[in-house]
Amino acid sequence: MKKLAILFVIPLFMVGCEEVQKIDTTNDTGKQVMSLDYRDFDQAASQMIQSLLSSGTLAKKDGSRYVVATSKVTNDTMQRIDTDLLTAKIEQDLMKSGQVVMTSAVGGKESNRDDTVYNMRETRDSSKGEEFKQETLPQKGQIISPELSMSGKIYQRNLRYDKDKQQVEYYFQLKLSDVKTGLRFWQEEVLIGKRGSNKSVAW
Amino acid sequence: MKKCLLLSFFVISAVLLNGCKEYDDKRVNLDTGVKSDTLANNALTRPVYGAFSLLIGEGIDLKDVKVFTNDAGFMEVQVTGYNRAVYTKRFDYKVEWLDKNGVVVDSKASTWRPVSAKSRNTFSFKTIAPSKDVVNFRMNTRKTPE
Repeated sequence: MKKLAILFVIPLFMVGCEEVQKIDTTNDTGKQVMSLDYRDFDQAASQMIQSLLSSGTLAKKDGSRYVVATSKVTNDTMQRIDTDLLTAKIEQDLMKSGQVVMTSAVGGKESNRDDTVYNMRETRDSSKGEEFKQETLPQKGQIISPELSMSGKIYQRNLRYDKDKQQVEYYFQLKLSDVKTGLRFWQEEVLIGKRGSNKSVAW
Repeated sequence: MKKCLLLSFFVISAVLLNGCKEYDDKRVNLDTGVKSDTLANNALTRPVYGAFSLLIGEGIDLKDVKVFTNDAGFMEVQVTGYNRAVYTKRFDYKVEWLDKNGVVVDSKASTWRPVSAKSRNTFSFKTIAPSKDVVNFRMNTRKTPE
């Protein structure tokens, strides 16, 4: 009976003591995985930001800032990905560059919009609106329309490399279009390719 | 008569060799296996060179760093190097951008970025500052993790 108890207790104790390490996300030298990890998003976003800033597309002649909306970025991979992992980084750096201001009034995804923008307008028009200091409420015709819109796609392609290996290609594609004219001012594609064992899963 | 024949042989050889003189332009690099083999670089000597290159640890030489401000007012840095090794060298670089007070300007683009330098070849890469406040930079490199 004692032996049986020990047999059950020891494995439980060992599982509890399994080592967990925090990733050094600044200087991660960990092994690559077949699916997309944070390093891939960092690399793709970094290349996109660099390309966009060096293109001069965002440099307005009068020095003012463009109003940019994030439209739809489609996840066309076999993985469950929140595309904000890519766009949030890009938006952050574009705003820091001083050339862009993002809008939360419109966007292709719920996370790009802020409900409060419209909720406060509904409140203004309802009886609850009377509870607010009137000059602090948003008035009609104040929302600024976006001048540029960012859209794109993340696409995955799986190939058989040889008997034991597979090749997975991830394409990050982004476009920046003028909302008024529909003209596209900038676009970029970043390819991240991985080759590994067939046993690795890329989804 | 013999002297005359010998002289003719040298003259013809000189003309032929001159005709074979390679056109050279430093901007165009013909890789081993693309250009013709020479006495010093052929299928027999190449493995020896390769082993020697590995043994003495040949790597990347820094050739030039160009810093300029683009039309939008952002600092751009172009690094040019030469890979002395007989194998492709893969490495990562990361840039820290500094403002006029020497304070780091945070950026999502400041991440390890890969470079692949072909053997015995010149390579370049370019990077751009994330803000107009940047006046200086620091660049680190590391061997690309396997």
